Amino acid sequence: MADQAFAGQPIVEPSTAPDDVLRIEHIAKRFGPITALRDINLHLRKGEVLGLLGDNGAGKSTLVKIICGFHKADSGSMWLKGKPYAPKSVLDARAQGVDTVYQDLALVDELSATQNLFLRREQTYRPLPFLAGRKMRREARAALDEIGINIPRIDLPAARLSGGQRQAIAVARAIRDQSEILLLDEPLAAMGAKEGAMILDLIARLKDRGDVSIIMIVHNYVQVFQACDRANLIQDGLITFDKPTAESSVDELNEIVVEEYRRARQAEMSGNGEASRYNAA
Amino acid sequence: MAVAPEKAPEKAPAQRPPARGAGTVALDWAKKGLALRESSIIVVIVASLVYFGATTPGFFSGWKNLLPYFCFLAIMAAGEVFVMTLGEIDLSIGALWLFTPFMYWKLTSAGIPLLPSVILALMIASLLGGVNGFFTAYVGIPSFVATLAMLFFLDGLALILSHSQQITTPGTSVTQTSTFASVFGAGTYSELIWALVIMGILQVVLTFTRWGIYTVATGGNRLGASEAGVKTRLVVVRNFMLCATTAGIAGILEAVRTSSITPDPSGSNQFLLYAVAAVIIGGTLMTGGEGTVVGAFLGALFIGILQDGLTLKSVNANYLYLWLGIAVIIAMTLYVLVRRIRRGSGRG
Repeated sequence: MADQAFAGQPIVEPSTAPDDVLRIEHIAKRFGPITALRDINLHLRKGEVLGLLGDNGAGKSTLVKIICGFHKADSGSMWLKGKPYAPKSVLDARAQGVDTVYQDLALVDELSATQNLFLRREQTYRPLPFLAGRKMRREARAALDEIGINIPRIDLPAARLSGGQRQAIAVARAIRDQSEILLLDEPLAAMGAKEGAMILDLIARLKDRGDVSIIMIVHNYVQVFQACDRANLIQDGLITFDKPTAESSVDELNEIVVEEYRRARQAEMSGNGEASRYNAA
Repeated sequence: MAVAPEKAPEKAPAQRPPARGAGTVALDWAKKGLALRESSIIVVIVASLVYFGATTPGFFSGWKNLLPYFCFLAIMAAGEVFVMTLGEIDLSIGALWLFTPFMYWKLTSAGIPLLPSVILALMIASLLGGVNGFFTAYVGIPSFVATLAMLFFLDGLALILSHSQQITTPGTSVTQTSTFASVFGAGTYSELIWALVIMGILQVVLTFTRWGIYTVATGGNRLGASEAGVKTRLVVVRNFMLCATTAGIAGILEAVRTSSITPDPSGSNQFLLYAVAAVIIGGTLMTGGEGTVVGAFLGALFIGILQDGLTLKSVNANYLYLWLGIAVIIAMTLYVLVRRIRRGSGRG
């Protein structure tokens, strides 16, 4: 159906690779009269970093929220490591190894880096209910070292950490949870050059480990080519571009987006623009 | 200001700091805990002790007179810390303080022995706290409103149960003090021991257990905490229950100590305000995410010293309010400033 409505708009058909950890086919989602996602096909290979591009309102966040269990798709199906995947909640998705890292939401300012890292996974001196502070600090240090993040004083409240450090702790927490798929929501937004480099470093290190697959929402095309193995572009609730970054370029992406803009303008001019688009879905 | 001088910030964060001995860690801990929150209240307490000690004969020799002024307040404040650390407030602790002894009296009148009656009355208090928590966390009413309703409800209930008559606390008598009575408030140090034990336990709970961590997390970043899997609503309900229980304990101890219960809502709500003041002066902001039980104890102690000292000086009670008002606003301003410095410059 989507094809008919958008003759001329390229749509990425379902495809798969033998080492896929996540496969999504024909996902659609409406919010009342607004169609956020129309027909999404996407796959994620093991150890891969997939960049998700798209303008505001294109459906990136909706897609991520469906994968992480926050929203339910209206139709379509998902597979996690070959098994049908339909998370009931964020916690359910996390239990299955799919975790989301939000930039601002994740940490509690008043708790220390360690306490944040162990939130809801605290260790105690069993059978006593007291927190094993020293043990957790040691493990926090080790966990952060492992992903190459240096936080000089992990006892400090998170309020005193930089944006990059906070993000790193949130990522470290997800990894400690044995998450296999990480969804990063604009990990590089609002970050200085140095901080951004630190996060890119972190992502590269995770890639080297090979056991974590990442989908990240990115705005900046240049950063996609720095950090991601493959890029997907969402336009109007459809994935219209799917290429390894090695085979594409910033220019190509720019071209596609500009093309989309032109088409939208044309549709508007001919007068049946928005109406036909949304009705079609 | 109360900000501790700190070591120079590490210049090269490329290496981790060297391992530190237990002594340094303890010192760090002492710095962290005391330097920011409780230090100013300690300074204020020392200053007030010096002032009253120098100007008021018999202030130190009659120090026991101080105890009834602050011990039960410290107990009420200890529970309120858990609610205010969430960024909420419980206005019903005065009413619970009043109502629980009446409940206890009703239960004993029904033929239930003293100790089980105390326990049952406290369980009822805790359930009422649970109702506060339910309306706050699940129905979504601001805690200020939910507990205000509970305040009026319980004040009314206490008046109805007692027929507005003063009653004699069961298990007490004016002429002799039974073991039960001396344990539950009538003994000279009994309330102090209760206050210290409760303070100790609750401070440990707040700092060293999951309950405490989740309280801070829920108060600091409710969305983030629930994202991480903390059942924040349950934490809210639980803390309101705890707060109501400590208010009930304080009420029963006071009823046993004075061996009578007077249905006087204006008096009990006065204590609510004192308890909240003690919590704030002690360093627990209602902004959520930060709290100290020890601080609340010290805050209550400060209020006790003011009351006792001013009584001994035969100054009229109006000065108490005056000083209390000044203390509350200074405390709050100080903590807000300290917080700003801590967050703003990235070092404390």
